[in-house]
Amino acid sequence: MSADPTPTGCGCPEGNLLTSAATVADGGLSRRGVLRGALLGGTALTVGSAVVTAAPIAAAATQSAPWTLVVLSMRGAADGLSLVVPHGDPVYYSARPRVAIPKDRLLVADAMFGLHPALAPLQSMWQQGKLAAVHAAGLPAPNRSHFAAIEAVEDAAPGSSTRSGWLNRLLGTDAYTSPLQGVAVGTSPFALAAGAQPSLTVASVNAVRVAGASAVSTSDPRIASLARAWDADDLMGRGLRTAVTAVADYGAVRAAKDTTSSYPATSLGRALALVSRSIRADVGSSVVTVDHGNWDMHTDLGTVAGGWMTNQAGQFAAAVSAFFADLGSWASRVTLVTVSEFGRRTVENADHGLDHGWGSVMFLAGAGVNGGRYYGRWPGLTATGDADLPVTTDYRSVLAEVIGTRTSASLATVFPGFTPQAVGVMRR
Amino acid sequence: MVPPAHPRSASTATGTAARSAVPVPTPTARLLLSRFTAGPTPSLAHAVAGGREQRWFARQLKPASVPDPAGEQIEEWWPDLARTPLDLWMRQSDGTRQGWQVMNDYGSWVLTRRLRSSRQVLETMTAFFENLLYVPVSGDPYFTWRVDYGRTIRARALGRYSDLLAAAVLHPAMLVYLNAATSTKTAPNENLGRELLELHTVGVGNYSEDDVKDSARILTGWCVDVYQTWQKFYVPEYHSTGRVRVRGFTSTNRDADGRAVCAAYLRYLARHPDTAQRLATRLVEVFVSDDVPRGLVDRLARTYLDHDTAIAPVLLELVGSRPFRASAGAKLRTPEEDVVATYRALDIEVLPPLAADSATVAMLNSTGALGWRFASNSRPDGAPVANTAWASTARALGSLDLHWNLANRYYPVTDVSYRDPASWVPSFPITYGDLVDHLCRSVLTRRSTAELLQIAVTATGIAAETVIPDASHPAVTGIGRTLAALLDTPEHWYR
Repeated sequence: MSADPTPTGCGCPEGNLLTSAATVADGGLSRRGVLRGALLGGTALTVGSAVVTAAPIAAAATQSAPWTLVVLSMRGAADGLSLVVPHGDPVYYSARPRVAIPKDRLLVADAMFGLHPALAPLQSMWQQGKLAAVHAAGLPAPNRSHFAAIEAVEDAAPGSSTRSGWLNRLLGTDAYTSPLQGVAVGTSPFALAAGAQPSLTVASVNAVRVAGASAVSTSDPRIASLARAWDADDLMGRGLRTAVTAVADYGAVRAAKDTTSSYPATSLGRALALVSRSIRADVGSSVVTVDHGNWDMHTDLGTVAGGWMTNQAGQFAAAVSAFFADLGSWASRVTLVTVSEFGRRTVENADHGLDHGWGSVMFLAGAGVNGGRYYGRWPGLTATGDADLPVTTDYRSVLAEVIGTRTSASLATVFPGFTPQAVGVMRR
Repeated sequence: MVPPAHPRSASTATGTAARSAVPVPTPTARLLLSRFTAGPTPSLAHAVAGGREQRWFARQLKPASVPDPAGEQIEEWWPDLARTPLDLWMRQSDGTRQGWQVMNDYGSWVLTRRLRSSRQVLETMTAFFENLLYVPVSGDPYFTWRVDYGRTIRARALGRYSDLLAAAVLHPAMLVYLNAATSTKTAPNENLGRELLELHTVGVGNYSEDDVKDSARILTGWCVDVYQTWQKFYVPEYHSTGRVRVRGFTSTNRDADGRAVCAAYLRYLARHPDTAQRLATRLVEVFVSDDVPRGLVDRLARTYLDHDTAIAPVLLELVGSRPFRASAGAKLRTPEEDVVATYRALDIEVLPPLAADSATVAMLNSTGALGWRFASNSRPDGAPVANTAWASTARALGSLDLHWNLANRYYPVTDVSYRDPASWVPSFPITYGDLVDHLCRSVLTRRSTAELLQIAVTATGIAAETVIPDASHPAVTGIGRTLAALLDTPEHWYR
């Protein structure tokens, strides 16, 4: 990706203009409180050229999060049959004469399943009972469109007329409203942003600043001018006010140690290093999303000796392993779960690849996970017709079990109209 | 989404002799320019003055009739863009120049065309179709053909969709990207066969899994000699013969040379009513609003079919419609649109790129900083078009950064020419209020309002009635502060 082309930071070189700038007579209100009220649309009134809120302001803007859910999205539809290989199903080997993983290479195998050898960095977590897999999981009906499927996975509210994501609804189950409650790492916030709860989209810690403001306060003329320009209740106005509030709340994250060097030098490694920093800053980030792209393997999947899948699975495993090692004692509140829009066909195509299928695998790691085991009901593979792995565990049942055991959120709010089945993957 | 609703009254310029002579377009003309150019400018305002905007638009729909010296000038700036796929590949293989560097050239070229070209509607529609018929720039097997793919789209972006679709779908870049170039009858790769239906024509929900399988079969036979000569060719032995059926299209498909069946299939899809609906919906989402009026979509779809998939009549119908005229400010600029519009608003001249941190490269990098680097995402559905995708905190802070750095001439500083601060002042002495009015006209192509003036006054602390005697006044030396304040209003972020 691009280099950050912004050398000026929060410099305010026009100091001579500042001398005549309006300042807020903030009386008993803290500056942060003034900003929060004004930019987040509290009852606002205009004094001179600055906006001051009349609403009572809490002293502390951020709070601690008792739990953190990290949702790692394997974008492009990951082949669950390569990651968690059903070596006990004979159809697997007959359907994949060139790309199947040999049984004798699998890790932590039981009578039916084993992990792809590229997942070796995660083997010790598995053996310690901190990592589990749920197979044949996914959407309740096949949806082979990347875009429609991922939207369905992120909404998790079939039949609902308004677009809101389950992660955003989860954020809405408590009273905390700092944008730092939800963090989407990267530049595409889609999963988190759909809904009423504010959240932060962030690609790097350094990007969380308002260029041209010397302080994030309405005493700063740049901030005051923005507050005036963006006082309407439109989409971008809400986004901009949320962004400025997030910058104000972000100090603890900036101050937390940057541990990126202990991660593999991959985009997922960098992303999880940023997640760790946010968690260790203890600013109440309870829902975090991370995208891991490049799983759409229509061609050249490769073999166990090397290639696309081996590289991709290795990147995933190395980054997740580094993440939990880095978290240390903070790991006791962090649960990571993977989702993918769908799985891939059982039968390989002419290009040594796999076309769009249905069921896939979900990994769960960290706090509360009843690990070291494979979960889910195995439906048996078929090589005819659409040659899908049929879904036997609705992905919402897995997520509901995580939320039900780790949080006090109402499942009826997060997954309206859904009755989860027991999976057993989380400790009650 | 509801456009920003500031109660902004008429102009409040405070009245000195130094009145601005910069013309502003009427609201109707500004709307047309905002949607179908990379950003309105005073010179465009002049071009459409006196109610000439419809005539201007009609002429823009025939791009060959519009002289484009500024657009042609840049053709020499990136010599690698003229190389053949084989040449590009050999140069990457021997370490002379990597594909991603050539693709940075391509992205820079596209953004610079949008910045400078006089054929603004052509560039706008090229961007529209490069996003609809999306092939990313990032990827070894297809970067070699990516420049030609863009030129293929540009040459047809105001023609017939039927021609564009056939040229794009069977282009080596698309065949390689969505794996049809190596798909054979043995086990056809469904990637292009599916996205052709879902993204390029009838849309999701309007085809079955059996349709996908036959769609993939129809496309078998086309090959690209990847990593060798890079030539496209047809291998009858790879074509899957036997009856095919996709929606209402059927063929016995007996001939091993399936090219005629494939061509007929693409003609069928381009003229399908569901394709007309999908294309019309997309046009409305990009050029009118995210709340799509079904009546308008139906009208556009009918026009599209009545004119044998010609694009220009559909655009004329769109801009003449009531929903369009009522949609001012309804669309949030995407990262690419914000970047180019900001360079245009500030009248920044980018110069031939000689360095790694040239302004043309900075423009490209800025699209990434705002959330979506030009054509770099690997997903075949391209960049989202709905406002909701672009109102994130990352976008907000990225745009604030971009506007601040450009308005203050901080970055980029290489191969770029900014306007001198004093050149933004029509004459001295001038009151700050009149200066703000002049800057609103120049940057936002509108007159100042009480609200815009107060935003500027708040940003600088300079009272509206302050008289600025000469260029040494802080209002001029620090003019970037006023420019950034005006750029950071809904008037610039929305279009």
